[in-house]
Amino acid sequence: MSIADHIAPPADKSVPRAVLVARGVTKSFPGVLALDNVDFDVRAGEVTALLGENGAGKSTLIKMMAGFYAPDDGEITVDGAPLHADPSSAHHIGIATIHQDAHLVPAMSVAENIMLGRWPTHYGWVQMKRQRAKAAAALLRVAPHLNPSTPAGRLSSADQQLVEIARAISEDSKVLIMDEPTTSLSPPEIDRLFAVVDDLKSKGMSIVFVSHWLDEVFRIADRVTVLRDGRLVGSRPICELDHDKVIRMMVGREVRDTILSKRPIGDVVLRVSNLSRQNVLSDISFDVRAGEIVGMSGLVGAGRSEVASCIFGIDPYDSGSVEIAGEPIRPNDPKAAIEAGIGLVPEDRRRQALVGLMSVKSNVTLSLLDRISCLGFLSMAREQEIADREIRALSVKTPSSSTRVSTLSGGNQQKVVLARWLARKPKLLILDEPTKGIDVGAKSEISELILRLAESGMAILLISSELPEILTLTDRVLVMRSGRISASLTREEATSETIMSFATTG
Amino acid sequence: MAVENAPMTDLVPRRSGGLSSLRGKLSFIDLMQSLGLMAVILLGSAVMSTLSPVFATIRNIENVLQSATIIAVVAIGQTFVILVSGIDLSVASVLVLSSVLAVGLVQFQGFSPEIAILAALVAGLGVGLINGLAVTKLRIPALIATLATMTIARGLAYIYSGGTNIAPVPRIFIELQASRVFGIPGVIVLTLVLAALAQIVLSRTRFGRSVYATGGNPLAARLAGIKTERVIIAAFMISGLMSAVAGLLITARFEAGAATAAQGLELAVIAAVVIGGVSLFGGEGNIGSMLLGVLLLGLVQNAVNLLNVPPNWDSVVSGLVIAAAAALDVYRRSYLEAGMRKKVIATKAGKQQKPS
Repeated sequence: MSIADHIAPPADKSVPRAVLVARGVTKSFPGVLALDNVDFDVRAGEVTALLGENGAGKSTLIKMMAGFYAPDDGEITVDGAPLHADPSSAHHIGIATIHQDAHLVPAMSVAENIMLGRWPTHYGWVQMKRQRAKAAAALLRVAPHLNPSTPAGRLSSADQQLVEIARAISEDSKVLIMDEPTTSLSPPEIDRLFAVVDDLKSKGMSIVFVSHWLDEVFRIADRVTVLRDGRLVGSRPICELDHDKVIRMMVGREVRDTILSKRPIGDVVLRVSNLSRQNVLSDISFDVRAGEIVGMSGLVGAGRSEVASCIFGIDPYDSGSVEIAGEPIRPNDPKAAIEAGIGLVPEDRRRQALVGLMSVKSNVTLSLLDRISCLGFLSMAREQEIADREIRALSVKTPSSSTRVSTLSGGNQQKVVLARWLARKPKLLILDEPTKGIDVGAKSEISELILRLAESGMAILLISSELPEILTLTDRVLVMRSGRISASLTREEATSETIMSFATTG
Repeated sequence: MAVENAPMTDLVPRRSGGLSSLRGKLSFIDLMQSLGLMAVILLGSAVMSTLSPVFATIRNIENVLQSATIIAVVAIGQTFVILVSGIDLSVASVLVLSSVLAVGLVQFQGFSPEIAILAALVAGLGVGLINGLAVTKLRIPALIATLATMTIARGLAYIYSGGTNIAPVPRIFIELQASRVFGIPGVIVLTLVLAALAQIVLSRTRFGRSVYATGGNPLAARLAGIKTERVIIAAFMISGLMSAVAGLLITARFEAGAATAAQGLELAVIAAVVIGGVSLFGGEGNIGSMLLGVLLLGLVQNAVNLLNVPPNWDSVVSGLVIAAAAALDVYRRSYLEAGMRKKVIATKAGKQQKPS
């Protein structure tokens, strides 16, 4: 039953043979070329780290290997067997994928989840005994502490992940793909996961490991493959690389320091006082002044977007207050926040900002309907004029202002969201991960735009997971951890190290 | 509107030009929808006029249009609800409730016809308001909420009418049915006026824009400062009102407060709206195309009658037409999407060739 039985020992110890081979894989979605002629090998008994910035094409490649998408061009094979665009085909030829969020059926037992879809049956009747035995065998390898009859929904996310690994083992998978498996784990849980990975590797399983944390990559990977803007940058053994080299492969340039021009900082625009929301935020207080760029840093789940949601009235809060220029804003009412002079560029623009079916023009003016209408009737001429002006000002690349917004690329979609707020000229602009999933060129344009807006006297709250962005753009950095502000750092105090230390242990 | 006036054109590769550059444009997508339906209607009509000598007579055409008016008026309201990605199953029940109220209040309680008509319309608005509140405030799925009001409203109509049709109707209904404007039956003119009003509201007003935004992406609409709950409630109220108006039309047509009429009408209406290109997922569609969908269904019904298709086979034929229209719609969408995808690849390829 072990994996090793199915895999011939490598002929040459130094160069193990490739198990999974992807050749010339290309995939596009409306508006984005996600993968462009990518070659990717996974070698037997190796941990291959798949790296790249947001939007580099990692998720698309993983979803393709898991059989969710068909490549437009190119082919993926496992030991010569071609992969068809069907999750069951992926399982069949030996690819198991552990997605970021666990894919277990919460109400079913651990054993049933391990055997999901392959329940041992006799004339259609599930044989509970055989199921338990098979599940227990797999479970013993990775998580001997778990009871096979516990409902999966009661397990911690770390244990759920181990159950998914056990499922992969019970399927005799040859390739195990793990998409950011450590994001929701505590350090001891990570250690346990890595021990399991080492064990699987020694038994000949190949592992694809995606992580944003380079320390983890250097701890566990044998080989690093980097994607950038949908293209393969390179694939090298870990021993040839160090942190800086990997980062350079990922970003394709040195991280440059922009010299901040001294901007005059004005009066307080946003004042947040003792904002609390049960189990989410506790006692958040800070100011943002006119012309000031305040960065907000912290790990995923630290409560940064939640602060933005409370300020902008998307979510209610239990206590505290939010004031713009001394005037308190009615909670839980985005319209009131907009009228008070707040703009929000949310983290997930497709879900939270854009109406994909509508034109670029209508998306630009979506929060301006009060300014382009008279007695409820829209002025088409005024709408066109505003849309044309903003499209030109931000150089949004679109065939026409009546093009469907969902056909634009990520960077141009983001510019459409920005255009919407610039046309309103808010007093405070909140940007939540403004450069997430957009290409490098558009990224620097947006960075420059943020600086220009601050120079014009707008107060800016910049939430970002990318430290270079925080370090180059902001005047002050608030670091969040577990729903609290753990530090407020001046530009001089803020370095990658200080921010990370307050984000992880503050 | 034209591509030449666009501020930036470098996303469109020159070579592919023409059709594929238009595919992303909304006006073009709408046009394709209407043209496709129009082609099917004209083709079908041409075939029918050779098969049946009666089909192409003014009398028959007028008959088709007259019977389509009731579905069309209900469908106008339904379009608003489906655009905000809801659904309203209560429309046929509201229609009969309105019909029995409009006649019954005169016959049983002795009110003036004007007050009875007003009461019928208010009843329609009321049911719509209840639907809207149930969907937004109680967060009951629209399908279930309107299923409940559908049953309740039909029940109330039966209770009030005693389960039979109420006759005779006030004179005003007979006059409405007989009226002609420039030689065109008044009910057809009324329907077209309502449709034009609805189209203006949808395309030219703040409320209409909010309807599309709420249906297309409710979260994004809310974050742009649109009161999405109010938009949804208003859409259901419009649907209720339109159903009540259709109730008055059916009263005029049948010359009775029709408690037992319009069985299953809600499904015919939804089918017509979807055939007319209004997306069941919300945010997409317009009144013009939608009316073509109503017309197509009406013509199919008429064809089935004229060709003496055996009874009960007519619903099979109607069902097949609905399935075919839906399949064509899916095909059309994937064709347009494929066009967009090719365009992106061409653009990226073009960029790579440029020296940087």
